[in-house]
Amino acid sequence: MRNHKVFFGFSAICWLVIGFAELPRFSYAETSETLVEPEIRRTDRDHWAYRPIQRSAVSKLASDDRSRNPIDRFILKTINERQLIPQGQADRVTLIRRLSFGIRGLPPTAAEIEQFVSSPAPDAYQQLADRMLSSFHYGEHWGQHWLDLARFADTDGFEFYKERADAWKYRDWVIQALNDDMPYDRFVAFQLAGDELEPVNERARVATVFCLSGPDMPDINSQEQRRQNVLNELTGTVGSVLLGLQIGCAQCHDHKFDPISQADFYRLRAVFERAVHVTRNKSLNVLQEKEGQLTKSYLMIRGDWRRQGPEIQPGFPRIANPGNLPFTVDSSIKTSGRRTALADWITHPENPLTARVIVNRLWQYHFGTGLVPSTSDFGIGHSPSHPELLDWLALELIQNAWSLKHIHRVIVNSATYRQKSLAHGEVPQDPENTWLSYFSRRRLSGEAIRDAMLAASGSLSKELGGKGVHPPLPEALKATLIEGQWHVSERLADHYRRSIYLFARRNLPYPIFEAFDRPDGNASCARRLHSTTAPQSLLMLNSTLSLDAAQRLAGRLLSDHVTIGEQMFEDLLIKTFGRTPTEKEKGTLRQFHQNQTRFLLSDERGDRGLALPIPLPAGVDHHAAAALTDICLAVFNATEFMYVD
Amino acid sequence: MNSNDVKNLSTRRQWLTTAGGGAGALALASLLQHDGVAAPGLHPPHSTPRAKRVIWLFMHGGPSHMDLFDPKPDLIKHSGKPLPESFGTVATRRNVAKNPLLGPIKPFKPRGQSGLEISDFFPRLSECADDLFVVRSMHGDSVNHPQSVYQVNTGSVLMGRPSVGSWTAYGLGTENQDMPAFVVLPDPAGGLKGGPPAWGSGFLPASYQGVTMRAGRNPILDLKPQNKISKQQQRKLLDLAQKFNHEHLKKRNHDDDLVARIKAYELAFRMQSAAPALVDIRQETVATHKLYGLHDEKTREFGERCLLARRMVESGVRFVQVYSGGTEGWDAHQDVQKNHGDLCAKTDQPIAGLLRDLKQRGLLDDTLVVWGGEFGRMPMSEQGVGRDHNPWGYSYWLAGAGIQGGRAYGATDPIGLRAAEDKVHVRDMHATILHLLGVDHALLSFFHNGLDERLTGPGEAHVIPDIAG
Repeated sequence: MRNHKVFFGFSAICWLVIGFAELPRFSYAETSETLVEPEIRRTDRDHWAYRPIQRSAVSKLASDDRSRNPIDRFILKTINERQLIPQGQADRVTLIRRLSFGIRGLPPTAAEIEQFVSSPAPDAYQQLADRMLSSFHYGEHWGQHWLDLARFADTDGFEFYKERADAWKYRDWVIQALNDDMPYDRFVAFQLAGDELEPVNERARVATVFCLSGPDMPDINSQEQRRQNVLNELTGTVGSVLLGLQIGCAQCHDHKFDPISQADFYRLRAVFERAVHVTRNKSLNVLQEKEGQLTKSYLMIRGDWRRQGPEIQPGFPRIANPGNLPFTVDSSIKTSGRRTALADWITHPENPLTARVIVNRLWQYHFGTGLVPSTSDFGIGHSPSHPELLDWLALELIQNAWSLKHIHRVIVNSATYRQKSLAHGEVPQDPENTWLSYFSRRRLSGEAIRDAMLAASGSLSKELGGKGVHPPLPEALKATLIEGQWHVSERLADHYRRSIYLFARRNLPYPIFEAFDRPDGNASCARRLHSTTAPQSLLMLNSTLSLDAAQRLAGRLLSDHVTIGEQMFEDLLIKTFGRTPTEKEKGTLRQFHQNQTRFLLSDERGDRGLALPIPLPAGVDHHAAAALTDICLAVFNATEFMYVD
Repeated sequence: MNSNDVKNLSTRRQWLTTAGGGAGALALASLLQHDGVAAPGLHPPHSTPRAKRVIWLFMHGGPSHMDLFDPKPDLIKHSGKPLPESFGTVATRRNVAKNPLLGPIKPFKPRGQSGLEISDFFPRLSECADDLFVVRSMHGDSVNHPQSVYQVNTGSVLMGRPSVGSWTAYGLGTENQDMPAFVVLPDPAGGLKGGPPAWGSGFLPASYQGVTMRAGRNPILDLKPQNKISKQQQRKLLDLAQKFNHEHLKKRNHDDDLVARIKAYELAFRMQSAAPALVDIRQETVATHKLYGLHDEKTREFGERCLLARRMVESGVRFVQVYSGGTEGWDAHQDVQKNHGDLCAKTDQPIAGLLRDLKQRGLLDDTLVVWGGEFGRMPMSEQGVGRDHNPWGYSYWLAGAGIQGGRAYGATDPIGLRAAEDKVHVRDMHATILHLLGVDHALLSFFHNGLDERLTGPGEAHVIPDIAG
């Protein structure tokens, strides 16, 4: 195992990057006051990610009757090469659910399903995709993807977990920017240098919270150490999120495999040096740069915050700068202009990484895996399954004014996206689905599961934005917090806000989110894990959240239907599975309802009472009503509710 | 197991084949096994394991080594004087470097056959001296609570990495198909500084994170149906859900993830019975209750959790962590006598009872018991009779797992400020614990974000040489 390539050395570099720890290796800059760094060799530049983005095209094969746009032609080419058989198009019922969760993170409504399934329009699907992309819920759903990357939370972390009073403004900024389809180059530039781009616009400055969203310990002994930790963490995050460069690994010494020197790290860090200020016991918020302020920047020997090495000038990581664009600041900017210079370079059409990285992320969120699976690491050892497609998408983004919605549109309209997932008896020839000959089934995120329960039960609040809300927490969890860290929101409606608006504590994720693999916000998360655990099942079966939603769903069904029967069951499955029940299922539900009603009547229930629907219409038999709640709870616990085909 | 896990798995499998087995092969057993997805069948460990399971008694806040397990006669001599200049500058949390030295609060005495010295703070535990292997030369890297809590638990001062318990669960799996492999029993007095990430699974799958359990009738979050749903009623509605699930699966290709979800529901259902039965200490004899101090108001709470720890390891839970001390815990800034007096009184009898009980049941031979906090305390005084944090030198003790007790290993300097001889860094302790479990710390790894991550990190880590005695 030790001889397994080079990964051990690599982990050595990245392991511990905090100043006071002993580090195992030495840097060339260890003893020298002058900077010596390995030059970028020509072979280094041969790595696909550092080469210029190439325009390529695949011509349509004569036999190709399935391609809807260039994506499909690229995909079909490799499918043919590997002699795989692509799946046909999924039915409309499947497609609308896939699209709705994929774009809005919410289930389709009964009316939407009805309209789409019965629409004779040949472009019904395109229209549907457009409608979904223009929904405000798009930003709420895709905003969470970005917040995962931005390691966003409403608290500092560490010992006291102080609340960051204004963090929510950044969350709202992200949602709004995505909904406005703010060009991605602007989106990035604002988060690096909103204050320089629009000095009088307070909202523009809010965008820079991105840089300072990481965990922080405001009461740490050495504030200088704190400042440097923050700078290091933000430099690493900017590198991995925006450029797919694991530059954070070069904090202590040159990167072992990627041509990133320690000096490259500190050059990038120097760009931010003047904008990061720490005050004891004060939480971080936005970047702040004072006019005319001068701070020298240094390489820190072995990444140790106490050991100043040679002075460093701000600059770009050399390997990502094939055109050798100079680091030039706009002298009309009152502050240093360094971050604007960085933003200009990152979003320069000739930057080989930025566009590739973001389109690859969009691809991952749509298909489960990126064309480059390591979405935050485009370094040595990683390569795209479809390099030409990746470049085609990157150019498509740049040439369409960096419109993310345009890329979404192209992706979801492709035949590749519309494929069926595998049915009974079909054995995947390509189990990892690298070549995309079918659609990969997926479990919903904890946020989407909660939102779907609330939506089905009709209790999901439509309110947008604002301060994070605190729905009730189980007492047992509250006890693990320091007194007063969770004040339940007073307005009942706030307990039913969309998941993205829940207050995000680093030390205590909301239970359903934690159980379903939400990252804890301590580091940028490029791709969530998808575990299947018994505590997930316990939560879905037994939590107040589930039962309350089940009671409300039952209440809604009773209000909308006169009798507990077939029509109601149809409505129930449409609201939860997005489809009507089969005859067999209707029979099962009818039978279960009868049996359960009878059971509840005979059950020795003592004083436990019945889980009655909310609201309970007058005149409804209580046992029959409670049996309906049980059905709703069972349906929430069905795999089909939590998965998308 | 989700398709992504399966993907990870099949790539892992290929990768293991090319990399020649070892580490991953071991962990693979648990990966395949988790939530009962695949048949058990543990792969051979790296070396003969001396322990099959671990109970870690975590003294949150940082207990004072020179008042408990590290006798310092010189500190008595110099008490009241400033720290001699020869000790150089000392990094402290609360600027106590210039404060006068504070002598040990209580006298030390040689105990048992071995004569191992333990202070009068622990009269009951002292009777078990011959079972204890005291490491007097521990050291870590941060003077702050959360960082040190993280380091001692996860190997890193940063938040969000997998804890020792998660690594162990990942490496060795569980022996009890009705229970999670890693269970944490937090102190009900209050939350830990640093919080639940201390037992988090970091980048390991969530199934390896510590599942917190409490004493009493509702030991796991959402373990019981809501009051208005009876157990039988729940079984019926779960049957309905599973009917849907089987139908759903039938229409789709054989998908491990969907199968795993169905199994996870059955495990959850079994846990509903298994976990309360496990925490039901009424089944224990009066003598056992007494052994753990359950008859005494002072010791009852911690005693109950020590007893639960024994019941868990006995039933096949791999790793149990028992926390002592609420949010402040052993953090004796103001008054060591008062703080430690209180906490020692609460834990002395239960810990001694645990060791005796494990021994009399033959469990101590292959159970490792670990005692220690996130750091020790300073020889200088704070506010007169208190002490500040000290990560530069402190004590831990190990017992069981065939370790020959009645011994001390390593030493701090004459006043207990810094580890001086046979130093044991936190990562060395981790390597030692894994070693006792039959796992080579250098080989237990998980591929994450392009890196092969290990509990002990990239640097060297050393197993305490003559640990096995």
